[in-house]
Amino acid sequence: MKASSRWLSLAVAGAAALTALALSACVGGQRQKVTLMLDWVPNTNHTGIYVALDKGWYREQGIDLEIIQPAESGVEQVVGSGQAHFGISFAEWLTSARAQGVPIVSIAAIIQHNSSGFASPAEKGLTRPRDFEGKRYGGSGLDIERAMLQALMACDGADAGKIEFVDTGYADFFVVTQRDVDFAWIYYGWTGIEAQVRGLPINVVWLRDYLECVPDYYTPVIISGEQLIAEKPGLVRRFMAATARGYDFAIQQPDEAATILGKYAEADPELIRRSQAWLSTRYREDGPPRWGYQEADVWARFIKWMADNGLVAEGVDPNKAFTNDFLP
Amino acid sequence: MPRPFWRHSSRWGPAALLVGLLLAAWEAFARLTAAPAWLLPAPSAIARAGVAAAPLLAGHVWRTLIEALLGLALAVVTGVGLAVLIDLSAVLKRALYPLLVVSQTVPTIALAPLLMVWFGFGLLPKVLVVALVCFFPVAMSMAQGLEATDPDLNALLASMGASRSQIFRKARFPGALPAAFGGLRIAATYSVIGAVIAEWVGASKGLGIFMIRASNSFLTARLFAAIALASVLSLVLFGAVLLLERLALPWYFAARRQERWEDIR
Repeated sequence: MKASSRWLSLAVAGAAALTALALSACVGGQRQKVTLMLDWVPNTNHTGIYVALDKGWYREQGIDLEIIQPAESGVEQVVGSGQAHFGISFAEWLTSARAQGVPIVSIAAIIQHNSSGFASPAEKGLTRPRDFEGKRYGGSGLDIERAMLQALMACDGADAGKIEFVDTGYADFFVVTQRDVDFAWIYYGWTGIEAQVRGLPINVVWLRDYLECVPDYYTPVIISGEQLIAEKPGLVRRFMAATARGYDFAIQQPDEAATILGKYAEADPELIRRSQAWLSTRYREDGPPRWGYQEADVWARFIKWMADNGLVAEGVDPNKAFTNDFLP
Repeated sequence: MPRPFWRHSSRWGPAALLVGLLLAAWEAFARLTAAPAWLLPAPSAIARAGVAAAPLLAGHVWRTLIEALLGLALAVVTGVGLAVLIDLSAVLKRALYPLLVVSQTVPTIALAPLLMVWFGFGLLPKVLVVALVCFFPVAMSMAQGLEATDPDLNALLASMGASRSQIFRKARFPGALPAAFGGLRIAATYSVIGAVIAEWVGASKGLGIFMIRASNSFLTARLFAAIALASVLSLVLFGAVLLLERLALPWYFAARRQERWEDIR
């Protein structure tokens, strides 16, 4: 089956190669066109990439990087099928994708620890999981949201069955918590900082504070396809060399990195600056050997947690889900 | 007398055969290349996924159908209303016509998130999106139908002392209905797509949200099953409009049959 499935990939790759050839012939350079697909609008999770792009570090590595933004979802499929070389994903998405056979691998953890939490306007007084009983949660209706809340609330002797789940899609946190719901799941590094900038006090129940119930995981991560990794390891290595240089720069010089990101992201410059100041200390928190480094234990614990909670079937191999081999 | 079902075979046969051939080619391609299920599932796998998800799907289909029907009803009311207004006065026509056309240049997908912010996550924003997509073909075709009334018929009724409103009710309005139903048929096929797009932006139930969840869970066969179901739903609504047309305009179809009969003679 493997051999014949390659026919399809070959046909697709062939068509892509012809297009790429035609394009590069026009440009005339020797640089390779590489596509990266973001997870969402450009934000401080992506700073290192934009810094490397802006400073020409991808070009130095012979890479002509094009950054694409998705409308809704599909990064994992697009990278898995080889239509994009790299993408931004999350441990939970990557695990679900691999469980369905999508051949993607995490090649770097952008942030070392889970920086997400369940947030609510401060006046609602929701400071610990127990307080969520009888409240309205606004999310995307994903199974993992229910599983997270169940685990978190069980941890605090409470019952997630008493939460009212409202599907609010990807609507703005500040809009929905004013009207439709009491709390929502946010990334502190962006939405939490935005609350600070707007002067709206919020309470956050950090997932990080309940690690005995929900293990830590890498979110977000940079992904690539198994085929690209097997066939062009050099390209992946050169891409990661420039990317890591960008993130190292963002760690050392948050202000300048924020200014660079501001050229590409359509967001409030003040939000970018303060989000960057917050996140720059977390890209390499707790002293991993280098930026992007991923621990096998973290992946194993989280994938086991997902399987135990029925979010994926058993049998996703943690050691195939990630690699540190391409970090400089 | 309607023709028995089998007599239609010559009409539907070629299309059914083509669809069958395309599905067979797809099945063969997927099997021969052994394409991974997340990339390109075979039609047989899609059918299996659809059957397996049937209990889940029922509620979603129902919700999308309700949104499409309510939106369509709202579109008919506003569409016909606007067409009548346009027909009533030349000034109103000059005022409204450009606005109607401009309304169609606004991308629905950009409007849907705004409607959600204004009206929340319930039924209303979805119904509004469907109505926005569907009212235009109804309004346009109805207005055209009204405009196309035979001037001789107008003159005749007027000479017989009919008032303007009598002429409108007896001749112009019924005369415009065949054209309006043409527009309604187009609207019916759009309505399901409108509902699905509205659900993408944020919903708890419906085929659109089912598609997103299937895609987010990397269950491509399930996604295709939902797409197929959305097509079927559109076809059902299209068929329902055809049926309604036959029931509502018996005189029109009788006249058409008569003409055909005269042609043959």
